[in-house]
Amino acid sequence: MDTSTINIILLIFHYLFFIYTVSVIISYIVLAFFSIVETLEYQKKNRFVNYKEILSSSISPSISIIAPAYNESLNIIENVRSLLSNHYANYDVIIVNDGSKDDSLEKLIKSYSLVKVDYLVNEQIPTKPLREGIFKSTNPAFEKLIVVDKENGGKSDALNMGLNLSESQYTACIDVDCLLLEDALQKMIKPFLELTEVQVIATGGVIRIANACTIKDGKLLDVDMPKSMLERAQILEYIRSFLLGRMAWSRLNGLLVISGAFGMFDKKIAIEIGGYDTNTVGEDMEIIVRMRRHMEEEKRKYKVAYIPDPLCWTEAPDNYKIFTSQRNRWTRGTIEVLRKHRKIALNPKYKSLGLVSFPFWFIFERMAPIIEVVGIIYFCVLMYLKALRWDYAFVFFISAYLFTVVFSLVAILSEEQTYHQYKKKGTGIKLIITSLIEPFIFHPFVLYAAIRGNFDYIFNKKKKWGVMTRKGLSKKEAV
Amino acid sequence: MNKFQYFLEYYNGEPLIIQLVWMVSCFLFLTVIILIIYLKFLRVRLRENEKITEKYTKDYELLLITYLYAETDENGVSLERQSVINELEKGIENTFKRKIIVATFLKLGNEITGEMAESIHHLYSQTKLKKYALSKLKNRNWYIIARGIRELTLFHVKDAHDQVVKHVNHSRREVRKEVQLYLVNLFHFEGLNFLDDLQTPLSEWDQIQLLEELQKMEDQQIPDISLWLKSTNKYVVIFALKLAEIYNQFGMKDVLIELISHKDKKVRLELIPVLSHLHVIEAKEIFKNNFNESSKDEQIEFFKLLENLIEPSDEPFIIEHIYNENFEVKYSALKLLKVLNTTKFENLELTPPESDFVKIVEFIKNY
Repeated sequence: MDTSTINIILLIFHYLFFIYTVSVIISYIVLAFFSIVETLEYQKKNRFVNYKEILSSSISPSISIIAPAYNESLNIIENVRSLLSNHYANYDVIIVNDGSKDDSLEKLIKSYSLVKVDYLVNEQIPTKPLREGIFKSTNPAFEKLIVVDKENGGKSDALNMGLNLSESQYTACIDVDCLLLEDALQKMIKPFLELTEVQVIATGGVIRIANACTIKDGKLLDVDMPKSMLERAQILEYIRSFLLGRMAWSRLNGLLVISGAFGMFDKKIAIEIGGYDTNTVGEDMEIIVRMRRHMEEEKRKYKVAYIPDPLCWTEAPDNYKIFTSQRNRWTRGTIEVLRKHRKIALNPKYKSLGLVSFPFWFIFERMAPIIEVVGIIYFCVLMYLKALRWDYAFVFFISAYLFTVVFSLVAILSEEQTYHQYKKKGTGIKLIITSLIEPFIFHPFVLYAAIRGNFDYIFNKKKKWGVMTRKGLSKKEAV
Repeated sequence: MNKFQYFLEYYNGEPLIIQLVWMVSCFLFLTVIILIIYLKFLRVRLRENEKITEKYTKDYELLLITYLYAETDENGVSLERQSVINELEKGIENTFKRKIIVATFLKLGNEITGEMAESIHHLYSQTKLKKYALSKLKNRNWYIIARGIRELTLFHVKDAHDQVVKHVNHSRREVRKEVQLYLVNLFHFEGLNFLDDLQTPLSEWDQIQLLEELQKMEDQQIPDISLWLKSTNKYVVIFALKLAEIYNQFGMKDVLIELISHKDKKVRLELIPVLSHLHVIEAKEIFKNNFNESSKDEQIEFFKLLENLIEPSDEPFIIEHIYNENFEVKYSALKLLKVLNTTKFENLELTPPESDFVKIVEFIKNY
């Protein structure tokens, strides 16, 4: 290859990277703008909403909380109690014990006075068979509780079992180890009942990180900032993602994902599309994409709504091993979903789903780690060829870094002006410091996990869920 | 200085794109600094506001309690009460304090009932708070109008009726909802007159709120709902169906039967449980005749109605559907067959063994 060819290749690379970077920046600015507009609108609309009526109304629609559990013996009793404490008139809680090898079922039977019952299951979605069967409590105080013990089939299979069992109009799918605030169901059901021009098919909630928070008897008493930088960086990342990213996509009715930790669905639609896909690790994103695709194909007007209130608190990984394993799975999930539904991409038949949301996810989520790694390799090649202008590299690096910091600070600002959850003195400065150093100490691990996810997707197809070791939210009780 | 000049020379010698990136970097750097300072300032302000709000809330709560327990003459006036009013009036002039006063009024208003609640409403009307709430109705922003109406509702300001109803067809759903709640809260069933010519949708959420308010009323004399059942607005019909069920409107039987052929599926679906609740047996034959043309949801609802209104004469129809492809219909039909004719149910042929049919029969047998 002669020098001129190399120069042309380098020039093409220059422009490709430049265009990609500029489009990332523009898209983030646009998202931040829409997010602010949507947040203001949400606040105006909901500032004086009276939730008391829906709480006590006998005609409020029925909701089933479906919580799959696998080897959750450590915290299952407290977690179920928290789910049973929700302030809503018409709901039940379905705990699906997905072939746990520990004593989760025995503990539940003992603590909630469960007995095996005959239960007619309309198996609309195929699932693994029941193991010990279906249990209900003899204690009227726990009449809302249904416990199902089935053979292990994974999270999706357990959720599908819950969908088959539910007799409610709406289902809230939740990770059993999450802490739901008491008014969570009232707030999540609102969009389904409020909109008349379009059908709301799902509502997503914000997930907040409960590490270092004080929780007692299933109630969040105090919000604090963890000591470890990994946990703090995740707090910042969640604020950025949920308050800026998803809020904006909600405004554009382009949400492609509702967190698996907490989401509510119109059960009829969820069953119509065949429930959760058991062949993906990105089941939370997959079901939303499939629901949207179904609605578009049926030419029905719909919306995936989003509630920014901090209603669901969960435990985030506190060590790098578990963290990278979790992010590896998220990456594989995204790749699987985008590949499975590639027909949607740039297909005008799917309107904004095909022309905006899907391409965005492909270019800026799916491809981002790959492009970043190619960029690093390209940087090394330039160094090797002694073709690197250090002053240019420096100014580009500085502007990229500053943009990241600005975006994080805007997210913190949005959090402070809306929910102001981190009230303690000193937590503000901790969040600011995190936003300044996160690109150096957190982002490399995110990138590493994403690349490993890509690698595992291609070369390690058998890899499914990693193990998430939990300490348990109840361990953080006030002394 | 030399360094700066060196940088300027360097900058001027660079291509436009690099100059642009430098400019962007400088802009972002300044933005970072401004955001950090603003965040610091914001957090301090929020903390201070919380403290001040807490202090004022306590002060105003104390004032309101003093007002409520003050000795009064036969006209309800006293020096102590007047001094409370004067104190409140001073606070009302300030927007921040006014918000706290209103919130305190609301908080206390929710905690007390009877004469004391009336005293609070009276006090509200005596102060300038009412004037401020009324002025909100003229605001250009929909959320301020909605807030104003909410305040007038909570403090039972009936004489604002004419100003409030002007917004009954407001383009924003939130304002319309507040108007509806105002009318129902203050004028009870009479307030439902807005339904007569409602052109806009009435969401499920709004309907629940209205029904809950109505059920709190002592006077449960419901007006004639036939006009609403015949409304061209399907949301009004659905709401009227709920009223018919909750308030046992047996007299509406003929109008309800007419609705069986309503063009909107949602109306028809809401209608079936109402017919079941009101024991409108005449509806059964109409549904049976239209059964195959009905949607799956309507078929399921009709079988639920049959579970409530079953008669021996329904047996042939039931038998026709024990092998229905829909699980819920099949389950209902088999349950009903067991009630009507146990022998026939016991002698059903249980094949193929793994089918839904056998599963349901076995379940019902053990039920």
